[in-house]
Amino acid sequence: MIERFAKFVRDTQVWQSLFRHGYPDNDRNQSLIMFSSVLLHLHPVKIKRSALRFRYTMCLGGMSAFMFLLLTFTGIFLMFYYVPDTRQAYHNIKDLTSNVFMGGLMRDLHKWSAEAMVFLVWAHMFRVFMTGSYKAPREFNWVIGVLLLTFTLLLSWTGYLLPWDQLALWAITVGTKMAEATPFIGYAGPWGQQLGMRVDNDIRFLLIGGTVVGQNALLRFYVLHCVALPVLITAGMVVHFWRIRKDGFSGPL
Amino acid sequence: MPLKDMRGFEAVGGEAGSEPVSRRDFFTLVGWGGFLAAMGGVGLGSFKFYVPTVLYEPPTTFKIGPPKDYGLGVDTRWKTEGQFWVVREAQGMYALISICRHLGCTPNWFPDQERFRCPCHGSIYDTNGNVRGGPAPRTLWRAAISLDPIDGQVVVNTSVRQDPDPKSIEGIAVYVDPDGRKVKPFYLDV
Repeated sequence: MIERFAKFVRDTQVWQSLFRHGYPDNDRNQSLIMFSSVLLHLHPVKIKRSALRFRYTMCLGGMSAFMFLLLTFTGIFLMFYYVPDTRQAYHNIKDLTSNVFMGGLMRDLHKWSAEAMVFLVWAHMFRVFMTGSYKAPREFNWVIGVLLLTFTLLLSWTGYLLPWDQLALWAITVGTKMAEATPFIGYAGPWGQQLGMRVDNDIRFLLIGGTVVGQNALLRFYVLHCVALPVLITAGMVVHFWRIRKDGFSGPL
Repeated sequence: MPLKDMRGFEAVGGEAGSEPVSRRDFFTLVGWGGFLAAMGGVGLGSFKFYVPTVLYEPPTTFKIGPPKDYGLGVDTRWKTEGQFWVVREAQGMYALISICRHLGCTPNWFPDQERFRCPCHGSIYDTNGNVRGGPAPRTLWRAAISLDPIDGQVVVNTSVRQDPDPKSIEGIAVYVDPDGRKVKPFYLDV
């Protein structure tokens, strides 16, 4: 009876679509399963034993990616209660931390994973440097990694403004002063004023949508934080993982 | 012998003595040119979309009344609304922007000491805007100042700022000769 039901299930089109190959108890089926699954094919069919040693990679890259996933999910939760309006934002955060069911947990997870991601990405970079894994043929992936680090820092920085408290306001005021000092396109940078840069047309003005950190700045940072930068970092991560997969893991033979 | 293009097709429409352009090359050029022009237009339009045209923030130009309203010394009445101080001297007046040049906090005016002092990290400025102490690396900005030709009121524009390169002299951490700063539009002869 159970046998017949199992056979019926295994013969349905749904089962056949999900499990296209037999049990992975031989090399051929193992390879077929890995190649034909969009999720599993990220992993190589065979891998060097040394690359699996924890002390070689210390899982820093994987944990960075995990932090990104965690941040995406908790971030989506937060978006249900947060409005990027200068009159509401601070109170939304207060609501989240004290009133919304599990809101405090989501916000704290988001905050601490963000801190952890910045640390882990740096640590990952340090490990790659120390093991010489940036060398040819992996030098292109190092460059992608530098971009990913930049996006990580920008995500952290844009998220810093969103609570709209004194810390946020002054951190972004100070941070955008750096943009103001960009050569040629910044008001306070070298050759900026000679090229006609003013406080109301330079790169800082574009970044915060005004001459002071206000409503436009909050909205722009919100869009950058929730849409533009996550899309960019995801695209970068896709290429990053693809190159790891294609170049193979570095490590002792 | 007829002229041929790179792919061996016979060129059409070539005048004698001029470079012949094949029909295919011409259309390739028109196609790519049109495509790139359209993309460029979209790019420029997107950039322009990103530049705000209307700002809902405090104005940067202020009419602050006739010069006779301001006595000798530092006047703080516009600090909250306009973020600048008005300084009146015997022969003229100027406007100092009340943004600390260290990290952008708002200094306070201490009339008894004749100094601006920043509460954040302790930068100290004198009435010329020169730095007398603390971490500030440059002198206070001076805003553009002028007289309205119609009603004779003083107009201060805080988006146009004077920021000369400073030097160090004995006793003053960051110094710019105040006489050198008395130029239009940053100084108003009264």
